[in-house]
Amino acid sequence: MTETTANSQTGVKTSSGYAKTILKEAFAQWSARIGFIWVGVIAILAVFAPFIANSHPYLVKSAEGISSPLFQYLSPADVIILTVFITILVLVYFRKRLMFSLLVLLSITLVSSVISYSFVEPPQLVVYEKYRELEKQGELEWVINAPIPYSAKDYLRDYGETGMEEPLAESQRTHWFGTEQSGADVLSRMIHACRIALGIGFVATGIAMLIGVILGGLMGYFSGVVDMLGMRLVEIFEAIPTLFLLLTFVAFFGSSLYLMMVIIGVTTWPGYARYVRAEFLKLRKMEYVQSAIACGLPLRSILFKHMLPNGIAPVLVAASFGVASAILFEAILSFLGLGLLDNPSWGQMLYQAVQSASFYWWMAFFPGGAIFLTVFAYNLMGEALRDAIDPYLRKKS
Amino acid sequence: MSKLLMKASNLKTYLETGDTIVKAVDDISFEINRGETYCLVGESGSGKSITALSIMQLLPKGIASHPGGEIVFNSKYSSDAISILKVNEEDMRNIRGSRIAMIFQEPMNSLNPVYTIGEQIVEALQIHWPDISDEQARQKAITALADVQIKDPEHRIDEYPHRLSGGQRQRVMIAMAMACEPELLIADEPTTALDVTVQAEILKLMWDLQQKNDMSILFITHDFGVVAQIAHKLAVMKHGEIVEQGDVELVLANPQHEYTKQLLAALPENLKQKNRATLMASFREKQKTSTNDKDIIRIENLKVYFPIKKGVFRHTVDHVKAVDDVSLSIRPGQIMALVGESGCGKTTLGRALLRLIDPTDGTFFYNGHELSSLSQKKVLPYRRDLQFIFQDPMSSLNPRLNIATTLTEPMAVHGIGKNTEERIRLAQDVMQQVQLDPEYIWRYPHEFSGGQRQRIGIARSLVLNPKFIVCDEVTSALDVSVQAEILDILLKLRDERELTLLFITHNISVVEYISDEIAVMYKGKIVEKGDTDQLTSSPQHEYTQQLLSAVPRLHH
Repeated sequence: MTETTANSQTGVKTSSGYAKTILKEAFAQWSARIGFIWVGVIAILAVFAPFIANSHPYLVKSAEGISSPLFQYLSPADVIILTVFITILVLVYFRKRLMFSLLVLLSITLVSSVISYSFVEPPQLVVYEKYRELEKQGELEWVINAPIPYSAKDYLRDYGETGMEEPLAESQRTHWFGTEQSGADVLSRMIHACRIALGIGFVATGIAMLIGVILGGLMGYFSGVVDMLGMRLVEIFEAIPTLFLLLTFVAFFGSSLYLMMVIIGVTTWPGYARYVRAEFLKLRKMEYVQSAIACGLPLRSILFKHMLPNGIAPVLVAASFGVASAILFEAILSFLGLGLLDNPSWGQMLYQAVQSASFYWWMAFFPGGAIFLTVFAYNLMGEALRDAIDPYLRKKS
Repeated sequence: MSKLLMKASNLKTYLETGDTIVKAVDDISFEINRGETYCLVGESGSGKSITALSIMQLLPKGIASHPGGEIVFNSKYSSDAISILKVNEEDMRNIRGSRIAMIFQEPMNSLNPVYTIGEQIVEALQIHWPDISDEQARQKAITALADVQIKDPEHRIDEYPHRLSGGQRQRVMIAMAMACEPELLIADEPTTALDVTVQAEILKLMWDLQQKNDMSILFITHDFGVVAQIAHKLAVMKHGEIVEQGDVELVLANPQHEYTKQLLAALPENLKQKNRATLMASFREKQKTSTNDKDIIRIENLKVYFPIKKGVFRHTVDHVKAVDDVSLSIRPGQIMALVGESGCGKTTLGRALLRLIDPTDGTFFYNGHELSSLSQKKVLPYRRDLQFIFQDPMSSLNPRLNIATTLTEPMAVHGIGKNTEERIRLAQDVMQQVQLDPEYIWRYPHEFSGGQRQRIGIARSLVLNPKFIVCDEVTSALDVSVQAEILDILLKLRDERELTLLFITHNISVVEYISDEIAVMYKGKIVEKGDTDQLTSSPQHEYTQQLLSAVPRLHH
């Protein structure tokens, strides 16, 4: 789409879209790059968690021949996450249009969920120590293990009564970050917890953005009565304390990750709605929107093609802070002991650190550091995005 | 005391942005004598404001540098000449305001809204005369306000800036600048943001003050009409250089440099003499032969009121009567000019005709179809025939969409062209008609200059093959030479496509050039309408007379 024939007379440069310029500008700052790299690392850990930390070896050679227990034990969720990740890579590589990519992504997610839940059937009974014991008994010729040979829920039953162990305390086993209460490897649990941290951040913020953009956009465009009613709704939702509501729901319905996502999403949309409304109120008066109306373009096109791309920038900034706060919400709940019970999460590990009289520093330091760095990374990116879209700051530089 | 007040020799001002160096002012020399008005004229980006800021030493230190030249200032209060580029910041602060004062273009932004105008003048006075008492300073401020002909200065001195009109604020700015009795007043486009009648008053005021105080003025403007009225000497700037300077009468009557000739030729009042006669003749010919003399637009008693809401329940207490009982009819193929000052309701009328604003009362018809009471949905089919060209070329194009999308989307909605390729081809044809390179169709708006964007704006309204276009101040954000091109494009298109235009503007000389008929609007009402040549030569209504006499012209 670009021509290199720059017109010297008018000083016209080759063309690039606004979004590209903004992203380029935001990620020219080293802070944003560091943030992005950290989130990227977390994302890769989350996607490949079963390959990085797993009690089941990649490959074993036994009397019956070569087999791959790791692949046998992959859950449907693992398969879906991997498919979606590969799809994203392919889409990014081919640089398709945003709407098209989203559609493809959504349909592949749906198809892969249906397929994997109906065809992927890992063994019902999971015995994590099975291959360790087989190896000890000398029944395996050779074994290729994962880098961290412990699953998140592998409580090391074969080693007897294990509990809190400091990092590298045991000579037989290597636990880089120590073990937790019931004996599971902390590093392994932290890697598996990346999924929850990212998932809750993106899904909760996604729900909030979707509601906020639609309601805020309608309020801003139509103004008048719609705006009046919408703003009252916003005020009502803003008056609900998210944490209190979460506590109540968890107390009544038990803790569920999806419930948490929905509640965080449904209570945090008013912020986004306010941003979009303010932008739309301003954009409605802009001459290019007026001219779109004068050309008789349909409402759908005016709202989503002419107004939304010009008003979305502050929402994206808010969203990157929103992801950070959603992660914190989950950590807080888990820390209060109301989060997920068996599944690993960073906040839950923090909770274990302070439960008994003695202070298990490794249980506080590593998960706490992960929460801090992730929230910090999102804030760095949000900050950089905000600077990039701020015309006043840009003029100065 | 020498006659020479200020002399700039071989002045250079370079601006560093990133790794590029812009030669904003490149080797210019000029002299200003006492009691003289020196005009710097040029199009936007020619370096005239940078020259002024260099004299004031107001450019940011890290970005601007002076690789050469010097500015010598002969103050009557010091025996030695001051070299402005060499004095330290402390001394410069004493020169600024008291010896050299400056007034800026935008009167709305240059006064601090949280202080009364009196406080702001008194502060300036007390900085330059530290031993003056509060009471004396106040008296001096009142005198200064009286000097700039603000009525009732004893009371108005305690007003906040928002209570004053644009013209009054500019008077206060002048009063502030004059309060310390400077020897040189730098005025950077002081009347550009004002209506012509107000502009005429401010120019007269500056002339009077200059006579009274024997002060020199460095007057920066892009308007040759203003130059002809106020200047003694004039310098024409282009790309940071002075291409021609000399006495006003000589330069204007007999320009030597090619660029000066071009600029003068591009003025609407000069264009008029050249080709208006021929254009009008051909248009009259067409009018005679065409049998269709039915009005394309007929407006009957149109009213657009904006409610003023107050209180908790937002009940309406009063109305702003933006358009108040207007009746007007426009014949096909005609260019009807709607003239008036800012806030007279001319833009509101234009927008109401396209149903971008809902009219309060009254009716209007397009080719006999009543549009005023149709629902937005029923107006849609007519949107193809009625189009709008906006004032500000910067904000009238969607920055996120390339030109191809901007031009072809309306076509697709109205079913013009079979497929995208055909629509792109049609759009490129239109771009050629507005003298844009069709290759530019894949570019984004930020890559174009103001004039090019305005052409894209015109192209967007043309792709639907409209019959009637409202042009809202289409040239007021453009330089004169670009303005002349745009006006010629519009005239040519009118001939080729048999368009009817409602041309909304405040610029009388543009109207005289382009329009067939004029309607003069004042406070929401049309006070006078008629044939352009007739109306401009013998205006009947008092307001029209006032408006026409206020227009600064080259030839008095």
